[in-house]
Amino acid sequence: MSFKRFDAEDIAISADAITAPVWSTGAPTLTTFKTSSIQYAAKNQYHVNVFQSTFTDPDAEVQFDISYADKLGKGTSLYNPSVAGKSPSSTIYGQYRSLVLGDEDSDFVFNADTISENFYVISINRSRFKEKLLPGTFNLTVGGLTLTDNSKDVTVVSYKDSGRVYNVVAGTNGSGGTESYGWFLPDIGTILLDATKLDTDSTCTMVDTVRDLNFNNTNSKKLFDALESFQLNSEETITSNYVFVRVRNSEFNYSVNPSNITGSGDLRHDYMIDAPQAYVTSVGLYNDNNDLLGIAKLSKPLVKDFTKEALLRIKLDF
Amino acid sequence: MAYLDNSVVTVDAILTKKGRELMARGDGSFQITQFALADDEIDYTLFNPSHPSGSAYYGEAIENLPLLEAFPDESQVMKYKLTTLPRGTARLPIIASVSNVVLKQGQSQAITPETLNYLGNNNTTENNGYIFTVADVRVASLFTGVGINNDEATRLNNITTLGTNVSKTVIGTSLNITSTTVNTLFGDRTQLTTSLTIIGRDSGARVTVPLTIKKV
Repeated sequence: MSFKRFDAEDIAISADAITAPVWSTGAPTLTTFKTSSIQYAAKNQYHVNVFQSTFTDPDAEVQFDISYADKLGKGTSLYNPSVAGKSPSSTIYGQYRSLVLGDEDSDFVFNADTISENFYVISINRSRFKEKLLPGTFNLTVGGLTLTDNSKDVTVVSYKDSGRVYNVVAGTNGSGGTESYGWFLPDIGTILLDATKLDTDSTCTMVDTVRDLNFNNTNSKKLFDALESFQLNSEETITSNYVFVRVRNSEFNYSVNPSNITGSGDLRHDYMIDAPQAYVTSVGLYNDNNDLLGIAKLSKPLVKDFTKEALLRIKLDF
Repeated sequence: MAYLDNSVVTVDAILTKKGRELMARGDGSFQITQFALADDEIDYTLFNPSHPSGSAYYGEAIENLPLLEAFPDESQVMKYKLTTLPRGTARLPIIASVSNVVLKQGQSQAITPETLNYLGNNNTTENNGYIFTVADVRVASLFTGVGINNDEATRLNNITTLGTNVSKTVIGTSLNITSTTVNTLFGDRTQLTTSLTIIGRDSGARVTVPLTIKKV
């Protein structure tokens, strides 16, 4: 027989959390930030794509986007000068109000008793953050100020419509001060930074948000220009199928490989009549219909004879 | 296609083209229930029973073979399976009476393999029949196994594919095949060629023959 059925305990399913740097460079920290002149010219009132290298490089990929949100529509040009308050910045504000707060009457309150009318949004590219961001790995230095999430300082996690919410605070590696500079939203790969707080902070010198009416103040570019370093890890749950292939000593010792037999079926080497040897290079995984679903290759041939048993572990990720 | 790093023994696993198709269907047909071992790439003429250093070195040339990564095409892997036979077996089963299959468009043919050297018999039809696999099912309008009457055989005969270039497998003691009448598959060509693989379900003997469809 050439096929052997698996026993129930031979196939195990496991889910493991995999963490990795977010950036396509593979490095934990990004220190080079580039924009695309084409994208910037077309969409800078809404968002600015940020690349890890010059956007014309073959390996350039969008790492994250920066947007500016303003409840009153300031800082960007009005869609129609006769319609007050409706501009790209108010569109972005409404978008994140729906996404994060879920209620059109709610306001963003990053610090108690203070309603924030404008903020910056850092939205990580989905293919970069995979499933979610890993709290405690967020370190952003902007205009001389280093910000992190407060995941290691809180004992009770807060939730909003967008999932978990941590405050962005001055500090490093998930621990820092008590004043909030915005929200870290790991489940949607988004960071909100309170524009007013950044502007008034004495440490942060380079972000100067301008809120003119019906004028493009390129605020997203102001935050971009202030970026110094950005460290962040992603977290992903990988469901793996572990298949254990158990081969007993009396099994699979003969090969129908044409180089092993003559045209009439005789073994090529008489030595192998009493001491047959086979060399395993591949393991085929089949369903009941004998369809070959998966194939596993060994890195080197595995000798199999009547004195050897084999146990191979195959991992299939989904 | 790259070589695998063989400084340590690892197992590199991928889904085949067929596996991906069945997973996409989501009808439960992607369920691993059995396995087979193969020794594709091994050249047993490299086995040297005259090695001056003794029997521990007979397989030296084979054991140092660097192996290639897996191919996703299910018709290009698991070609030469390892089989379980009693110790002392001198002759391995082989499939006879099947050679190149050439059909005109719309022509039908029954293919009945026989196995030599199995259980001491010269020519025998295996009790559990044969596995017939066509590498590209589009070339056949009918591809049905006959002679094995159980649920598995019936289910395999009734499986339909999505009109894509994937394999189809049936079981039986014979295969009934009718070539396609679809002209568009030919394009500018006068014939289509794929492969037909026959594997003895009891013996593990295997043969692959070309299957050619000539345009009428």
